[in-house]
Amino acid sequence: MNAPQDALVRGEGITRAFHRRGGLFSRGTPMLALRGIDIAVNRGEAVGVVGESGCGKSTLGRVMLRLLPLTDGRVLFEGEDLATLPAARLRALRRRMQLVFQDPYGSLDPRRTVGAQIADGMVIHGLATGTEAADRVAALLRQVGLDPDHAKRLPHEFSGGQRQRIAVARALSTQPDFIVADEPVSALDVSIQAQVVNLLADLRAELGLALMFISHDLHVVRHLCDRVVVMYLGRVMEEGSAAEIFRAPAHPYTRALLAATPSLRHRGAAAAPLAGEVPSIARPPSGCVFRTRCAFAQPRCAEAVPTLEPLPGAGARRIACHRAAELP
Amino acid sequence: MRRSPIRALVIPGALVLLVVLVALAAPILPLADPVRQDVANRLAGPSAAHWLGQDEYGRDVLSRIIWGARVSLTVAALAAALAAVVGTLLGILGGYFRGLVELVTVRVAEIVLCFPPLLLALLVVTLLGPGAGTLVFSLAILFAPGFARVAYAETLSARALDYVTAQQALGARTRRILFLTLLPNIAPPLIVQFSLTVAAAMVLESGLSFLGLGVVPPSPSWGLMIRGARASMEQAPLLLFWPCLALTGTVLLLNLLCDRLRDALDPRGKAAGRPGFLGRLVALPPAPEPRQAPGLLTVDGLTLSVPGPQGPIEVVRDVGFTLAPGETLAIVGESGSGKTLTGLAVMGLLPAAVKPVAGSILFTARDGRVRDLLRLPEAEMRALRGRDLAMIFQDPSSSLNPLLRIGSQLAETLRAHGVRDGVRDRVVGLLRQVGLPDPERAADAYPHEISGGQRQRVMIAAAIANGPRLLLADEPTTALDVTVQAQILALLAELKCAEGGMGMAFVTHNLAVVGEIADRVLVMYAGEVVEEGPVADVFAAPRHPYTAALIASMPEGDAERLTAIPGAVPQPWAMPAGCRFAPRCTLAADACRATAPALSEVAPGRSSRCLRWEEVA
Repeated sequence: MNAPQDALVRGEGITRAFHRRGGLFSRGTPMLALRGIDIAVNRGEAVGVVGESGCGKSTLGRVMLRLLPLTDGRVLFEGEDLATLPAARLRALRRRMQLVFQDPYGSLDPRRTVGAQIADGMVIHGLATGTEAADRVAALLRQVGLDPDHAKRLPHEFSGGQRQRIAVARALSTQPDFIVADEPVSALDVSIQAQVVNLLADLRAELGLALMFISHDLHVVRHLCDRVVVMYLGRVMEEGSAAEIFRAPAHPYTRALLAATPSLRHRGAAAAPLAGEVPSIARPPSGCVFRTRCAFAQPRCAEAVPTLEPLPGAGARRIACHRAAELP
Repeated sequence: MRRSPIRALVIPGALVLLVVLVALAAPILPLADPVRQDVANRLAGPSAAHWLGQDEYGRDVLSRIIWGARVSLTVAALAAALAAVVGTLLGILGGYFRGLVELVTVRVAEIVLCFPPLLLALLVVTLLGPGAGTLVFSLAILFAPGFARVAYAETLSARALDYVTAQQALGARTRRILFLTLLPNIAPPLIVQFSLTVAAAMVLESGLSFLGLGVVPPSPSWGLMIRGARASMEQAPLLLFWPCLALTGTVLLLNLLCDRLRDALDPRGKAAGRPGFLGRLVALPPAPEPRQAPGLLTVDGLTLSVPGPQGPIEVVRDVGFTLAPGETLAIVGESGSGKTLTGLAVMGLLPAAVKPVAGSILFTARDGRVRDLLRLPEAEMRALRGRDLAMIFQDPSSSLNPLLRIGSQLAETLRAHGVRDGVRDRVVGLLRQVGLPDPERAADAYPHEISGGQRQRVMIAAAIANGPRLLLADEPTTALDVTVQAQILALLAELKCAEGGMGMAFVTHNLAVVGEIADRVLVMYAGEVVEEGPVADVFAAPRHPYTAALIASMPEGDAERLTAIPGAVPQPWAMPAGCRFAPRCTLAADACRATAPALSEVAPGRSSRCLRWEEVA
C-alpha cells in the first residue's frame, strides 16, 4: 500500500459477501458486494469513493465504521483491528468515527427533538450533560448555520437541506476524527447541495477531519476531495489524486463515467455513451468485471482479474487494467 | 388536515371514558348491593327501585352490570397490559437481534397462536383453577403473541432505517436503541393493538365466566350474568338482554375507538381520489382569447391551487410557454417549483387536491384541431392521452405493471388506440427501436426481469407507440446511473429526429441535462416562471439572478468554493409579498420586496421575471 503508515483508518483486503436466501437447506449463492479492497484514509484527508449503483460504495462506508461485518480482510483504526476489539472498546471508539446519511428524511428520528438527537452522542459518551450539553448543541447548530433556538423543534419542521445540516451537527457532536458521508447531497436540490458541500469543506478545514465522501457525482467529489477511489461492481478500478484523475482519467471506466456525466461546460461534447448496464452482482463477469462494457476489452481480460498497479509515470495513481500501458 | 382525525377521536374516547368512570365509581354510586339476594322478588321486572329488574336470586341487575363492568374491564385491561409488555418485548428482541433470539422469542410465541384460543384458555384455567388472577394470566398468554407479531414486524422495518443505524454509529448501547429509538417509533400500531386486545379479552373473559371457568360466583361478571340468565331465559328474557347489551356495546365502542386511533396515528392522510374531469372543471373561468396562433402547445396564464387551512394556496402561478413542433423545451426547477404540476396539468393528470383556477392549455392535435386541454371533457382527454400526448415518468419500476409481460403491456397501449393487426410485430419493432437487446425475448419478460435502464426504455417505447405529437418526460433519468442516463438521453434525442415534428417537454432539476437535450429552457422558481429562452443563450448569459445562481452552484468549475444560494425555497403558504426570489437574491432592492415583477421580454425570444435583469452578470 502506498499510503503512509500512519493512516487513520485503513482497510486491508476488505471482502464482504452476502447470501441470497436459498431454499430450506441451501444457503443460496454467495454474492460478493466487496472484493479485496485496500483503502486508507489519512488524518485530515478527504477521500472520495465514486461509482454507480451496485458498486458497493455504501457497503464500503459502513464496513469502514464496522456497522457491517466483514467476510474477509480487516479494518484498522489507528492500527487497531475493529473486528477483534471488545464491544465496550468499540463503542468507545465510535465517538471518533461518525456517519452522515444520504436521506435527510430517514436519518433523523421523527419523534424526538433535534436538540435531543444532537445531544445523543454527548450523552452516550458522557462528554456533556444538562446545560453544558445544551450549550454544545446550540454551538453545533450555529456551526452548521442554523438557529440555536431550533433545538426544540422536531425534524419535520425543517427542509431537506436543514435536516442534512442537523445530521452533520449530530455527527460532529462527539468531536470525531473520521466521518463517512454516504451521498450526503444526492437527495438535495442543487442550490442546497452547494451549501452542504461548502459546509463539509469548511468543517474539514476547521476541525482537521478525515472524510470519506461517497458519491455518484464526480463533480461534487472533485470539489471536496484530495484523493478519489473509483469503484465498479465491488472492486477498485482506479485510485489517485482528484485533480489528476479529472485531468486525465486512465481507466476506461473512469473515462466513460466522466464522459457520461452531463456538464454545462462541455455541452454536446460527450462521447458515445457506454453500452449496456452494470451486470448483476450475482453473476459478475469473469476476469475484469468491467470487460463486458469496455471498449478496449480483449480475450485476456476475461481470463485473469487485473490487480491494482501503479500507473507508469503517473505518481501515486493506480489502476486495475490489463491494458494500462497500451491504452490510447 | 391533521386536526380532523384527532377530533374524530373525541366522541368514542369520551364514551369509553364514561364506561370506565362509571365502573370505577361503582362503590360510591347509590347502587344496591350486587350480591344481596331477595328471593321473594326473583325475576321481577324493572321498577323504580330496580331500574333494570332483578335476577334469578332477586339481585339488582343494574348494580350487577356496573359492578360486573369493573371485573370485566379490570381483567381485560390487566390481561391486555401484561400481554402488551411481554409480547412487545419478545417482538422487539426477536426483530432487532434476529437469528437465535428470533427463534426463541417470536417463533415460540407463534406456536401459541396455533392452539385454538378457547381450548388453550381452558387448559390454563383447568391447571390453575378458576379465579380472576388465573383469567388475567391465561388471557395474557393468549394475546401476547399478537403483540409479538406486530412488534416484530414493525421492528424489522424500523431497524433498517437510517436513524437507527445512526444510533449504532454514535455508539449507543443496544438497550438505549431499543427503548429510546425503536419503541417510540413502533408504538402507534401497538397502541391500536392494545385497544383491540382489551375488547377481545372482554369477550373471552365473558365466555370463560359463562363456562364457569372465570370469575367465581357470587362476584358479578357479565359472563356469569349471561350464564345465570340462560336458565330463566323463557320467563325473563330481558335478563339475558342487559349483560349482552353491555358486552356488545363496550366492545363496539372499543373497536370504534381503535379505528379512530389508527387514523389519528397514521401520518399518511387519506388516499387521494383519482383525477377527474369534475375536479378539473371547478371554478375555472372561461378561457381568454388566444393571443397568438398556438404552435403545438401554448400554455397561457396557468394557475393551479391547492386548498390550505387559510384558503387556497397558489402552487403554480401564471405559467405560460409555447412549444413548436419538433422543439424540445426543458422545464427546470428545484423541488417545490411547480414544474411537475405544470407537466401533469398538460396531461390532465393533476392530483385531485390540485385545482386549475385560471389559464388555458391549447394543444394542436394530429387532426389539426386546437383544443383547450384544461377544459376538455375527460373522455376526449383520454382519447388524446397515449396517442397525441404521451408521458414518461421518473420511476420506471413503479410505472410498469409487475404482473404483466412487457409485450402485453405495450400491446395494450397499441390496442387502446385502435391498432388491431400485427400488434406483436409492432411491439417487437418498438422494443428494437428503443435499443433493447434481444427484443423478441424482452417482449416475453416480466418487468422485474430487466434492469432499471431497460425498464425506462420500455416506458419510452410505450410512450412513442402511437406516434405522439407531444412527449412529456418528467425527470426520466433521475433514478438512473449516469452511464445509463447518457444512453437514455441519446435515445430521446435520436427518437426526436426519427419522429418528425414531435415536440418534447422535458421536466428536470438538473441543469446539465438540460444542456444535453433541450433547445429552449423554462426556469421555474416557487411556482412561477422566472426566465425563458434558448438554452445556449440562457446558459451563456442568464437574465435572472436565480438562473445565474443555479448555474454558479453547479459543482463544475475550477473555483475552490461552490457558490451556494443562501436560504431555501419559500413554502407555498408563506410566499414573500414581492419577488419570490428576493429573500435569497444578492441583487434584491426595496422595490423587489415591494412589488412582484412581471415576466417581461428582455431580448427577442427571451424573457425574465426580474426588475434588475440588466444588472445580472
